[in-house]
Amino acid sequence: MPTDIKMRAEIRRYDPSVDAEPHYETFEVAGQDNWRVLDVIRSIYERQAGDLAYQFACRVGRCGTCAVKVNGVPVLACQERCKPEMKIEPLTPFPVLRDLVVDRSEIEARYEQHAYAPQRKTEYAGGPEPIDPLLAEDLCHKGSCLACMVCVSGCPAVEERAFDGPAFMLKLRHMAEHPADSGNRLEQAIDAGMLECFGCDLCTQLCPADLSPAQAIRDFRRDMIFGGSKKHE
Amino acid sequence: MSKATLPRNTTRQAEGLQYGDVARTLHRFSGAAIIVFVLVHVIVQAVRQVPMFAALNAGAPWLQTMQEQNWVHAILFFCIAFHTLYGLKLLAGELGFTIRYQTAFWGIVGVSALFGLREVLRYAGI
Repeated sequence: MPTDIKMRAEIRRYDPSVDAEPHYETFEVAGQDNWRVLDVIRSIYERQAGDLAYQFACRVGRCGTCAVKVNGVPVLACQERCKPEMKIEPLTPFPVLRDLVVDRSEIEARYEQHAYAPQRKTEYAGGPEPIDPLLAEDLCHKGSCLACMVCVSGCPAVEERAFDGPAFMLKLRHMAEHPADSGNRLEQAIDAGMLECFGCDLCTQLCPADLSPAQAIRDFRRDMIFGGSKKHE
Repeated sequence: MSKATLPRNTTRQAEGLQYGDVARTLHRFSGAAIIVFVLVHVIVQAVRQVPMFAALNAGAPWLQTMQEQNWVHAILFFCIAFHTLYGLKLLAGELGFTIRYQTAFWGIVGVSALFGLREVLRYAGI
């Protein structure tokens, strides 16, 4: 049975049209211990700060829109259990549009730049193409990335070095293993800073979809050493 | 179990140990500690052994005491073991071996701690 608890949420507020600098506002929230962080944010928005900017869509961990940092750790707000003391901040290192909302235009541009669709040698013949069921399952798993940017936000290499981030590497690996793709994804991954990864697996731990971008990077590195990237070849 | 899974319905990410962060920090700290130890060790041994520095040695009787501190050796051996094993784990990953990050972390910390403990016991004469 859920029990009633009192929570203290410190939220980073910043409205570029009004504030010179970001500041923190503290809110006391009465709720229950089974609430998610998103429930707390919504409660604050509904009852205490109607001007609080935040975003969400599905509330079931499928869209990746509600990603924020809680006590310094990037999480999906709709999935993360609330805590008595919380410091809620927008995802880093992305530019903040307002309060908890970040500008995703650079992310979208990077997705477009990497061309995450199979680059075919020949014209698509139409209709289903034969594929090994195990490979299909693996590709399906890799394709379930939410693009929530939790891994990119948590990645220490992104913070320190010229590295696009784990989510992009995972997607490149997805394409590298796709039977219809003929692009040089390894070279793309190297250009995107794949070699800067520390191999710490923090992205694997934080991924709300239980994916492992770190393993995708290790697979690319193994290919660099031994050659070959297509499992089906 | 199928690889394709739905997202978890509850996470407690902000409460748990961030294995990757701790491991990466320890790897850096242990590397720095080894370098610092080697540098200090070379200087101290020069002061203690080279006749030219005999005057300096006479003025620093605490060098011998410092050299006999078991905790310094325990930390050093922990650092050497951790740095080596974590480095090998990273290398193994890139060569195609899959090791779960929690297992690897606790395994490496445990083995390294045994090396450190061995030094403490050695000084204690056990």
